[in-house]
Amino acid sequence: MISGSLSSFFVMYKTIQRSFFLTFFTDQCCFKMATSTSTPTHPPVRISLIAGRYLVFDIDAVMVLRRSFGLCGVLTGTMPQNPTQNLFLSMPQELRAEEARLVVDRGAGYVADEAGDHLRLLKEMSSGVGEKRREGYLRELREKRVAAKRLFDEEKEAVRRMHEGKRGKGKKKVQKVEEGGGGGDSLFETATAVQPAPEEALPAITPSTSNAMLDPAGTSGAIADENLPEPSAFYRELNKRGYFTTPGLRFGGGYSVYPSDPFKFHAHYLSSCYGWDEKIPMLDIVTSGRLGTAVKKSFMFGAEREEEEGGKKRGEGEVRMFCVEWAGM
Amino acid sequence: MALDDDDNPALAAPPPTANTTTATPDAPAEETAEDLLEDEGAAAQDFRVFASLFKKNTHISAQTIRKGEKDFESHGTQLQADTLEQSRAAMQEVLSYTRIHSGANLVRGWYFPGWWADYEEGEEWQDSKAEDGKKERKPFGHIRDRVVILEGSSTSTQNLGRAVTGQAKDRPGRGKDWLLPEEALYLVERGSLDLWWPTKEFGEIFPPPPAAPVEGEAPQPENTDFDPSTQPTGASEDEEDEYVDGFPLSLQAAYALLIGLDGTRGKISLQKFQVYSNLKRCGYNVLRAPPNPPNPNQSSYRLNITIKNFFSSLLPSFTPSPPKSGPLLKPGLYRSYNQIFSQLSLIERHIPSPVLPFPLPSIAPYEIHFLVWKSSQKWTKLRHPSPDFYLSVVDAQESEVPQMEEILGLLEQTPWAPPKREWEGNHGRLYARLKNGWRNVLMAVVDHGVINYMRWGEGGFGQERIYERFDGRNGSYRGGKRGGRNQGRGGRGGRGGGRGRGEGEGEGGIDGRVKSTG
Repeated sequence: MISGSLSSFFVMYKTIQRSFFLTFFTDQCCFKMATSTSTPTHPPVRISLIAGRYLVFDIDAVMVLRRSFGLCGVLTGTMPQNPTQNLFLSMPQELRAEEARLVVDRGAGYVADEAGDHLRLLKEMSSGVGEKRREGYLRELREKRVAAKRLFDEEKEAVRRMHEGKRGKGKKKVQKVEEGGGGGDSLFETATAVQPAPEEALPAITPSTSNAMLDPAGTSGAIADENLPEPSAFYRELNKRGYFTTPGLRFGGGYSVYPSDPFKFHAHYLSSCYGWDEKIPMLDIVTSGRLGTAVKKSFMFGAEREEEEGGKKRGEGEVRMFCVEWAGM
Repeated sequence: MALDDDDNPALAAPPPTANTTTATPDAPAEETAEDLLEDEGAAAQDFRVFASLFKKNTHISAQTIRKGEKDFESHGTQLQADTLEQSRAAMQEVLSYTRIHSGANLVRGWYFPGWWADYEEGEEWQDSKAEDGKKERKPFGHIRDRVVILEGSSTSTQNLGRAVTGQAKDRPGRGKDWLLPEEALYLVERGSLDLWWPTKEFGEIFPPPPAAPVEGEAPQPENTDFDPSTQPTGASEDEEDEYVDGFPLSLQAAYALLIGLDGTRGKISLQKFQVYSNLKRCGYNVLRAPPNPPNPNQSSYRLNITIKNFFSSLLPSFTPSPPKSGPLLKPGLYRSYNQIFSQLSLIERHIPSPVLPFPLPSIAPYEIHFLVWKSSQKWTKLRHPSPDFYLSVVDAQESEVPQMEEILGLLEQTPWAPPKREWEGNHGRLYARLKNGWRNVLMAVVDHGVINYMRWGEGGFGQERIYERFDGRNGSYRGGKRGGRNQGRGGRGGRGGGRGRGEGEGEGGIDGRVKSTG
């Protein structure tokens, strides 16, 4: 089988440009990072590690990752407002392991063993050790419930007023008849209007996050960095250049690479990452190149150059990338 | 604090029933300390935030968020930045929604992971619908994995959960529905279930029925003045604090408690849950597959097999093999292609059969995980026809294309599903038959939340003898697949071309007119 390593591709790039376009990847995107990583303006992003998967539950954290770190992840949850569709999904957001590590490395957040941490906290809270925590949690919950109830009452009141206005304008005669027939009804109505349904209980609420239960600034349950898988230098480079990536499954490849937020842009590349001296089967190039062209994307592949002297650590070396597009000559 | 009870005129007067809205006694004192730093003007702002939290905002759809055409690349204009910011803001607003359960459709569930840990599941029987007095077997219940008990029921919980029958009469919580982790999490996520963490023993929250006075299960000092004839939900009415039995859990906590590694009792892997909820959102009925499915191939397959199939499966063994050195085709006069081609078929073909000659075990992760039914009125969780689809869930990163044994073992778990009867003997349905296969299974490949469904079928290419058509009379086989397809294509092409010309350039128009006049 014909194959070549990335280094040989580099040579080839200089010498030939034949039936497919092999272009050196020189795309320069400017990407504004969140001012500086040392003084984050947001609370640390909590990434929940549950059964080997990395999830984010806090919408604010999701927005921080999207706006300042070029991470869009995949929203996977059912949307409670409209639970019978698959087009637009809701929290939680799933991140790849290397994305989680990237966030940690940039000092923007931490990964927490969510199951262990929750079980510990919940047990504390029910045994009396964590009585204060329990009170705080319930207090915050109660505030939300009160707010929700107030909102509902106001909406009800608005609807009632609207109806009353309509009736007052158009159906005066009918109202008179009603007053004659069932005076009790209208009396009751005015009574409730004055005191809006005090007998109704507060609505129950399922909060999206456990933030009220966790220590506000703490990093409870955090996992040591070295236990998290390293991101590939390839991915690191893409992220550094401002590209957004999503799982490659949709178009076939390692990642789908977007020039910026996928909300606004189509993916430009399907990408795969190889080792510097790894033999790349020619068929891979042809297959992925054709596949990419079929969905109006080009196939990008690359690797990290391994430094001889060992001066640079893994993940900091030079990354070379190539794009292949089918020319159809 | 803007949201304190004192500020709320609706709640200023304590409600007469004094059940849920009583103020937490000394709580506000500590918490307002830092909140007082904010000025009074913050109140309105705060409320607006909350308003967006609870409003459903149904006017915001996927279109609002993905507004307009996508651009090819960033061109650094303010317009582009603005539209992107609008999309992001809309997304943030939609996703900030908090799940809220108002009075009528409140269903509460309690997390009791250990209750069925020691349960040994046998076969359960139910009365058959047919009035012959026979009993039918209940579908496998996965009782040991059921960790959430439902307090009530609603339309969204109807087809989920399972009550465990055959329990002692004085057992607490008898007759209640229990949910599997994926069912509970799905309900929480769609806002139909309020999941609670219990701070008391099971027997205290779900006291056994009054007929049998409790002696064993759990000591109940607090419940002496508690009337056990009322429903367990009554607890909050009698007690001052509604959180005395436990407290509600967040969505995050529900994930933490219910998602786990494969094979952990009372948990489900995230990939499987994502597939489960994806199918449920589409409206399918989904149940966990029984662990060791009783081989569906054992029963009544012989009725399905037709005599023709039977003979054709025996046929190859009757043809004499050609001499080892000699010509493949015996010299002679042949009057039909049939005789020639049957001599040419040397290699043994795979012939799908209802019973495999040797049973193959399924190999993880290529196992049937879910049984899937199309949505139907008649479907109930205990009584349903055989599944429409058999589904296996694999991770895109951790698994490879299955090996022969793996895919065979997987297919072996599904029932014999031959092509439709009316397709038989019809050359036109050749491809329909091949596509259908003789057994099939769906595989959901999950890559970090993105799901791709694949269908694997057991093909029977050896069953389709193309050469049999060559011997027929001229017309007899032409009318089949080929003729039909050519006609269809010609017709379509013609029509399309005509329309194009008519609407297009003038030359075409003349052409068309010439045709019509001539």
